[in-house]
Amino acid sequence: MKDQHIISLIENTSFGSISEKDLQTIEAHAAECDACESAFAAARLASVMLRERTAETFEPSSFFQTRVMAHVRERQAANETWAWSRIWRSAGALASSMVAAVVALAVLTFVVPDTSINGDLVDASARNGYSVEEVILNPGDSLEEVSDGLILTTLYDAAEDTVK
Amino acid sequence: MADTRLRHPQYFNARRLLSQSHEQASDLELARSARAGDESAFEEIMRRYSPRVFRFASRFFRQRSLVEEAAQEVFLRAFTELDSFAGRGSMEGWLTRITTNTCLNLLRSAKRRPELTVSDLTEDETAWLDSIMSATATERHESSERSLVAADLTDRVLHTLSPDDQLVLMLIDGEENSVKDVVKITGWSESKVKVQAFRARRRMREAVEKLLRRKPKASATA
Repeated sequence: MKDQHIISLIENTSFGSISEKDLQTIEAHAAECDACESAFAAARLASVMLRERTAETFEPSSFFQTRVMAHVRERQAANETWAWSRIWRSAGALASSMVAAVVALAVLTFVVPDTSINGDLVDASARNGYSVEEVILNPGDSLEEVSDGLILTTLYDAAEDTVK
Repeated sequence: MADTRLRHPQYFNARRLLSQSHEQASDLELARSARAGDESAFEEIMRRYSPRVFRFASRFFRQRSLVEEAAQEVFLRAFTELDSFAGRGSMEGWLTRITTNTCLNLLRSAKRRPELTVSDLTEDETAWLDSIMSATATERHESSERSLVAADLTDRVLHTLSPDDQLVLMLIDGEENSVKDVVKITGWSESKVKVQAFRARRRMREAVEKLLRRKPKASATA
């Protein structure tokens, strides 16, 4: 029981804060008890070791701030990229539906041919023996040979067919 | 590509003026400016507190590279958590808390060393143990070489203990902080600090006792 008391005196507080009275009690007991003497010696040594270790410190190097600021900027840039990608992801559905609509309109406008109009023009040309392009673009070639009535028929028959 | 404006003399003058104005600013003002994107305000915070953060991180690590890594992580966390600093407590306390948590996390992620035995000791360490045991009570050794050996040995013993044990031992027994100080630093309850310190002291003492046990009694008790 007495041994326990001595050891708890050592362990209850840091070695440096053991009171003078307690220290005398411990030393007196340690002189008679091998186990407590060993514990006391170890506690004393541990205290010295910890203070030696605490005395060691490092100071920041001159480049420390620069390095940290570089990392801060890197993180900020990464966060900005992430924020943009989040915005893109949330608006992605809307944007992709808009793109799909634009593509569909472009396909309908430029790729799919308007067969009804072209067909009517071809029919009118076949009936008159002249195409609309021929009449408009090459007026000099056959103007003298072609009557005004034929020109009008070629141009306006096609338009009328389209309207119908 | 580097911004050519950064090399302009006016840029340096503006920076100098800004940092001069920051020198007189309070910690809270600096935190507000840094939150608003003023990098020089955060640089001033680092200038003021990096020595303290380094000193504190040195309690946990003995290699300069590890101390720098911890300190860097502390300031990066501080930068991202500036919103949580409302100025109710001191910035020093706030940063010390971040440093403690960062260092504990780094220690927890590191592999704990196995128990140290006498056969693991170097000749220098054995000689130091002999000399310290034959010296008077808590007499400090002046030789820096011996201090280095002592710190080395202490570090090896400490790393056989848990990170929490290491923390309380360094703060209370090493730096002689009070239990209340450690409560503030760690955020633990007072009873947790006391119990942790009691158990840590026991484990440290037992680890040291094992080192002394196989030594000749004459040198251990002289």
